[in-house]
Amino acid sequence: MDIATLAFSAFYQFGDAFAFLVLSACGLAVIFGMMGVINLAHGEFIMCGAYVTAASVHAGLPLPLGILAGTAVSALVGVLVELLVIRHLYERPLDTIVATWGLSLIATQGTLILVGSTMAGVGTPFGSFQVGAYSYSIYRIVLFMAALAVLGGLYALFNWTRFGVLARATIQVPHMAAALGVDTRLIYSLTFACGAGLAGLAGGLYAPTMTLVPTMGATFIMEAFVTVVIGGADVFLGTAPAGGVLAVVKSGMTSWQGQLFGQIGLLVAVIIVVRVLPKGISGFVLRERT
Amino acid sequence: MSAVVSLLRRLEGPQTLGRGRGFWSLFALVLLGAVAFPLLTDGYTVGNTVYFFVWVFIALSLSLIWGYGGSLSFGQTAFFGIAGYGYGVLTINFGADYGFTWIALLIAVGIAALFALLLGYFMFFGRIAGVFLGIVTLAVTLMLERFMAQTAGPEWHIGSARLNGFNGMSAMPPLTIPWFDEPIVLFADVGLYYIVLAMLVIVYLALRILMNSSFGNVIVAIRENPERAEMLGYDIRKYQLITFVIGAALAGLSGVLYTVWGQYITPSSMGMTAAALPLIWVAVGGRSDLTTTVIGTLVVLSGFQALTIYGSQYALVFMGVLLVLTVLIAPNGLVLGIINWVTRLVSRRKQETA
Amino acid sequence: MALLECRALNKHFGGLHVTNAVDLTLQPGEIHCLIGPNGAGKSTLFRLILGEHQPGSGEIYFAGENITSLKSFARIRRGLSVKFQVPGVFKGLSVRQNLEIALQSHHHGAALAQEIVGLLDFLGLSAEQAQTAGNLSHGQKQWLEIGMAIALKPLLLLLDEPTAGMSPEETHMTGEMVRRLNAEGMTVLAIEHDMAFVRQVAQRVTVLHLGQVFAQGSIDEIVADERVAAIYLGQAHA
Repeated sequence: MDIATLAFSAFYQFGDAFAFLVLSACGLAVIFGMMGVINLAHGEFIMCGAYVTAASVHAGLPLPLGILAGTAVSALVGVLVELLVIRHLYERPLDTIVATWGLSLIATQGTLILVGSTMAGVGTPFGSFQVGAYSYSIYRIVLFMAALAVLGGLYALFNWTRFGVLARATIQVPHMAAALGVDTRLIYSLTFACGAGLAGLAGGLYAPTMTLVPTMGATFIMEAFVTVVIGGADVFLGTAPAGGVLAVVKSGMTSWQGQLFGQIGLLVAVIIVVRVLPKGISGFVLRERT
Repeated sequence: MSAVVSLLRRLEGPQTLGRGRGFWSLFALVLLGAVAFPLLTDGYTVGNTVYFFVWVFIALSLSLIWGYGGSLSFGQTAFFGIAGYGYGVLTINFGADYGFTWIALLIAVGIAALFALLLGYFMFFGRIAGVFLGIVTLAVTLMLERFMAQTAGPEWHIGSARLNGFNGMSAMPPLTIPWFDEPIVLFADVGLYYIVLAMLVIVYLALRILMNSSFGNVIVAIRENPERAEMLGYDIRKYQLITFVIGAALAGLSGVLYTVWGQYITPSSMGMTAAALPLIWVAVGGRSDLTTTVIGTLVVLSGFQALTIYGSQYALVFMGVLLVLTVLIAPNGLVLGIINWVTRLVSRRKQETA
Repeated sequence: MALLECRALNKHFGGLHVTNAVDLTLQPGEIHCLIGPNGAGKSTLFRLILGEHQPGSGEIYFAGENITSLKSFARIRRGLSVKFQVPGVFKGLSVRQNLEIALQSHHHGAALAQEIVGLLDFLGLSAEQAQTAGNLSHGQKQWLEIGMAIALKPLLLLLDEPTAGMSPEETHMTGEMVRRLNAEGMTVLAIEHDMAFVRQVAQRVTVLHLGQVFAQGSIDEIVADERVAAIYLGQAHA
């Protein structure tokens, strides 16, 4: 096997891991980075997006619209959750973790009861292509592109739109923002909805590649958390480079020892990073900058 | 003699609810009831009650680390699993003769405590706290579960004990007391009931003494204001580490007792749902007090079991709702809230009649 | 031998040079006040002395020993003690328990109970001993924390704005408390904005400005110094 095929294979694995990490993490990063809230129900928002997407496709919608539907429904559920639960717990970060865990339990069991233990899936579109002796799924490359697009879109949203600037102001100095006439409650709701929507988007995008079960969120949540913790509070200075670094770790360990060790590699990485760079990569970068 | 007296005096103190004749009479009454209980019911109920008792230790561990210490640890189920599997491995390899099962129990709990020592040193001496402590301990728990879940092949074994992946380890001997003609095997019945009850009482009283001592004072000081505690000359890392190790030993004890109760242990005992359950019991009971933790655990567990029998699927949903509501409405615990409310009513009544 | 010696301490936070070549020497038995406009670096200096921050360069000597690399609790054990600006009491615990936690590392059993009673008396908090510390008035919380700080019978007591938020009467009482402690041999280093308090207690004063030692001397010398008045322009308190 020549260098070119090896290189392509490595890059493909990297891109696949990167996409998964970034897409799973960005919703969590927005919520944790912007609001300091740890949302242990993040996996269930992803599941919601996946289920709604699958249901829409079965109802006749084309996949892209199905994914959009998944994103929208997740965002709406996010608004509800923020209103009913999260809003009351801003002063208590540990209690937020516990409460969202409770929500996660309700969501997984509730889905099990309402929809059953599995849901009919969606086929992976686009088929595959050959490089050297291996075939690769085209859809995975689409996902990689999607991850980059999401990062770009988030950057645009938080830096160039009125909402984005207000959101960053509100989160950094809430009483100042309120004094300037910003409806801080609305901003919190919308930011949480944004995070939930991004989770739904991830779910929708990955729905064609996975079996849909109520506990599917668990597959994403660990990797999402690892990426956010290592990345730190800033989505762009943190989540993206963390995704890059961890993608290398994960694809490396997976090709060396298999899936399990890839996951264990991530967990070891998070433990080391929390110890060495307590504020994550972005915290380190920001500190060096000033 | 005076040392014993001062020790016993520590049974009451600022860190535990309940003092005076009234409380201890009630305690004696409950204990009497618990001792008489097996004589009044059938074997199945007794075995079931042992099952509830088994979980109290891990609940107490969380109460210690989170309620008293202020550190949210998701790692308790990891220690539960390590000790459970440890017991299984040891007894499958070395059998139950000569009282080895008891030695295995001690070693298994010791292994969990050792693991906590290493992990705790890494965390507390690395100044990891708050949310990040939760994340690291959660990562460890998940890592362990994932690892154990894929140990299905025959190549995964320690000695003659196969780890068995998802299906878990089984057929390990229960606790066995060596006796003259025939060893007394403690299946999930009356014998085990009394042993576990004794352990429960001893642990409960010992923890009361510990938390009302100067050690306990420092632990709650760290919870209230860690910076201030350090500025009073306490190396808070050491205290947090010791609490963490004691907590791990307790969780490990739950793990071993669970394994001997049912003669099996599976990776799902270390999964996300399993890790959530102690959180629910402790949150509902009232994590910052030993007594309310015990009460809360037993109440929620029996409630959960009742629900599972009558409306199986909804049980977990109800648990989740209970957790969310408790966090929102009574963050110090429902049982604690009720007790406080009742005490207020009683003292108000006293004031009015005075 | 000086009790505390800070030699050429430097500290940067990002691009900000918060502590700039600071030298500070305290003789045993001194009451020394640290004053200066907001942002001068006074609290940072305290945190450097206590070990909460590590200096970029420079050294700290306490009773002749180099404590620069020691952790905070180790420095406390050697005879330092601090009362922070924002009352750092154990809010959920009773007043009595707060003091017990402070005293229990040095006393036990019956002696401990006696010390607690004595300290409650000294602080004027005997009536409130069963109260939850969080329910005390602001001034009472300040005194409780001072109580916890002095419970350790420190050689050097650091006070960060001890009279912040106090009425003039409470401020005067705090001043008297400090002078009584000093008469018993305690060295005190206090950050203060309230000039009445500084005049009441200070034997020597150091003025910090923009992280540097701006002026040092007796309280009269400092008050007469025009440059000091200039940097304080707009913050009249004297």
